[in-house]
Amino acid sequence: MKHRARLLSIVVVVITAVPLGFAGSQEFKPSKQIEAVVHTRPGGGSDLLARAIAELLQKEKLISQRMQVVNKPGGGPAVAIFYLAEKKGETHTIGFFTGVWVTNPLTTAEATVTVKDLTPIVRLVLEPAVIAVKADSPYKNMKDFIDAAKKSPKQLAQSGGTITSRDNLMRLLIQKATGAQWNFISFPSGGERLSNLLGGHVQMMVIEPQEAGEQIRAGNLRVIASLTEKRLASLPHVPTIKEQGIDVPLIPQARGVVAPPGVSREVVQYWEGVFDRFEKTATWKQYLEQNQFEEGYLKGPPLSKFFDDLTVQMRDVLKEAGAKVLR
Amino acid sequence: MDALGNLLLGFSVALTPVNLFWCLVGVVLGTVVGVLPGLGPAATIAMLLPLTLKMDHTTAIIALAGIFYGARYGGSTTSILLNIPGESSSVVTCLDGYQMARQGRAGAALGISAISSFIAGTVGVLGLMLIAPPLARFALRFAPPEYFALMVLGLAMVVFLAGESMVKALLAMLVGLWIASIGTDLFTAESRFTFGQMKLLGGVDFIAATVGIFAIGEVLVNLESRGGAEIFKLSKGLRNLFPTLQDLKDCRFAFLNGSVIGFLIGALPGAGATVASFLSYGLEKAVSRHPEKFGTGVIEGVAAPEGANNADAGGALVPLLTLGIPGGNTTAILLGGLILWGYKPGPLLIQEHPELFWGLVASMYIGNVLLLVLNLPLVPLFAQILRLPYYVLYPLIIGISIVGVYSVNNSPFDVWMMGLFGLLGYLMRKLDFPAAALILGMVLGDGLERALRQSLMMSQGDILILATRPISGTLLFIAATILCLPAIRKVRFWRVAAVEREG
Repeated sequence: MKHRARLLSIVVVVITAVPLGFAGSQEFKPSKQIEAVVHTRPGGGSDLLARAIAELLQKEKLISQRMQVVNKPGGGPAVAIFYLAEKKGETHTIGFFTGVWVTNPLTTAEATVTVKDLTPIVRLVLEPAVIAVKADSPYKNMKDFIDAAKKSPKQLAQSGGTITSRDNLMRLLIQKATGAQWNFISFPSGGERLSNLLGGHVQMMVIEPQEAGEQIRAGNLRVIASLTEKRLASLPHVPTIKEQGIDVPLIPQARGVVAPPGVSREVVQYWEGVFDRFEKTATWKQYLEQNQFEEGYLKGPPLSKFFDDLTVQMRDVLKEAGAKVLR
Repeated sequence: MDALGNLLLGFSVALTPVNLFWCLVGVVLGTVVGVLPGLGPAATIAMLLPLTLKMDHTTAIIALAGIFYGARYGGSTTSILLNIPGESSSVVTCLDGYQMARQGRAGAALGISAISSFIAGTVGVLGLMLIAPPLARFALRFAPPEYFALMVLGLAMVVFLAGESMVKALLAMLVGLWIASIGTDLFTAESRFTFGQMKLLGGVDFIAATVGIFAIGEVLVNLESRGGAEIFKLSKGLRNLFPTLQDLKDCRFAFLNGSVIGFLIGALPGAGATVASFLSYGLEKAVSRHPEKFGTGVIEGVAAPEGANNADAGGALVPLLTLGIPGGNTTAILLGGLILWGYKPGPLLIQEHPELFWGLVASMYIGNVLLLVLNLPLVPLFAQILRLPYYVLYPLIIGISIVGVYSVNNSPFDVWMMGLFGLLGYLMRKLDFPAAALILGMVLGDGLERALRQSLMMSQGDILILATRPISGTLLFIAATILCLPAIRKVRFWRVAAVEREG
């Protein structure tokens, strides 16, 4: 009896496995550890996002293999992009891009590989931004700040990242739209940008709502405008910059996933499938809410178009900024 | 005594068997990570972060913080024994620590490093407990001009790192400053001195450069001097396995100096443990009665920087926990962890989650005791490594260096850079250029340039902004005084000589 039961089970397994086996020969499925490349050091924005997603994907059992985050810092995103490009056709490597992956190669001579050379998979989030001032500063809204900046040109200052960062590009766009002028001071880490604002050494900062949230609650910061199309759910009383009469194009800070060049359609479809399901999970929604990200899910041709449009827009804005645009 | 009540709450949290166990796991892991060059606490914590999701949050931060400060204990081991800086904050420890090892005093050096780490680490926690909020507010007064002055003060320490020739020290420092400028310019996003090399866009890796200059350079020099077997004098018996009472007395000031400098610098988001260790080494030499002996194996030269980099760990948690501002890579990951666990790190964290903050503080007292108890018995064990014959020891040093440097970024390019810097280190030893001065330039160059340019942007190009602000003015004055020291000493020397001639 026992013997027959086993035989039966083998037959059942074979019967059910056959169709799956055929499907498997066409579909891609990771067979070893997946390498997820980020351009920041441990603790940077991309690093934290990648590690959280790696964890959540495993928690939701959407991937069968471990996902290992690999840090490739250097030259903004240049070293990471180059590393991915070198992995041409590699099916077990992905990278987490951000907006700088588009802007940086435009101005860096050494960055001979651009994000266009990689294979887009999905865009996952859009990171909104707000304009914050110190809570005890006299600026209650954009008008106050712009008027003060007009009164004493180049006396006020904003802290931020590099000149190709969204912080500075937004400044240039607002300056152009209003005619006001103020300084931009680069700091390498978000911590220094914020502590210089809290210390009163600079007057304004473009900041992610999540980073500003606790400072607002503690009464250290005041948000005077959101750089979004609609008001933020977390800051319903803060008007958008357009509501305040400053009509500037909004630069999206996008984050998402790319693969090396030359990977097959099957690999792309596999990852699209994984993220299609991931995007709908409650854990992901909760993560978005915790970090006050906006859902920015995009794939396929619309994603390619997004990259193209962003490249064109950035080229114009960078030229406007006086940066040397090389490609 | 509110703090006392809170601390009791903290100990009640930290002393539960589970938390005690994870504190031990954290500090042991930290020590291991610190001993291995390359793999740092930041990468380790990042890797372990997912495992903590299922843990109690206080337990998780106790374990992760244990890795953070535990690594500072372990960093000195390879610096002292093999001249391989285990962490970037242990580079200075090579200067006197390795010389002590060569004189058969490896045990004393390792022992004092553990003791100093314990004292300063504990002072750091005390500071975190007692003065975190006011210190964080004070640290906010540091704007670019203040950072510039701090970096200049650091550079002035070159006076104390110079050997025979001040000119050679200054030249080496300038080369260090130049190396620091390689890479992508933060302000313009343009690349500098990269020679078209994509791999240089991120700059020269600090670990690769220091391991090359110190460890590889040393091996090359020793290979040449044929009698390689005689490099280490071996101590006989138990006498030299631990620091003597006299050693402890000699280090009294170093303990204090390391604790205070490390903690204060640690609380500044833009400085870091490496800067703190250099500053405390310089200060130690400045007040020493025998400054000329520094670099030849004085025990204070180990105690001060090792204390500083441990007190820094306490200091670095000040802006993180009181303001939600991370000062460096490792604290940035801890911040990420706090968010992942559902906390909102910021100015209200301590108030709203006292068990988290005070549990962590209490666990750090315990962790420091654990580290001391753990590290002291290891000292004689580690010191045995020097008994190895040189034909085993040299390949071992080179092997550890390669693996360590590779593991930082998984980059073969960094290993080549290490080799290149090894040759540079060899040449510098041959021509009697002080390697420490070059490293000083590398450590401070980036921050110095950045702070200067930021200051000038703030002031519309008015250079007076650097001198007219109270904190930066004071720091610059001290720096100027230090730079004048050699000249003053010389004048005094002439006067004494003249008086003697007349007499």
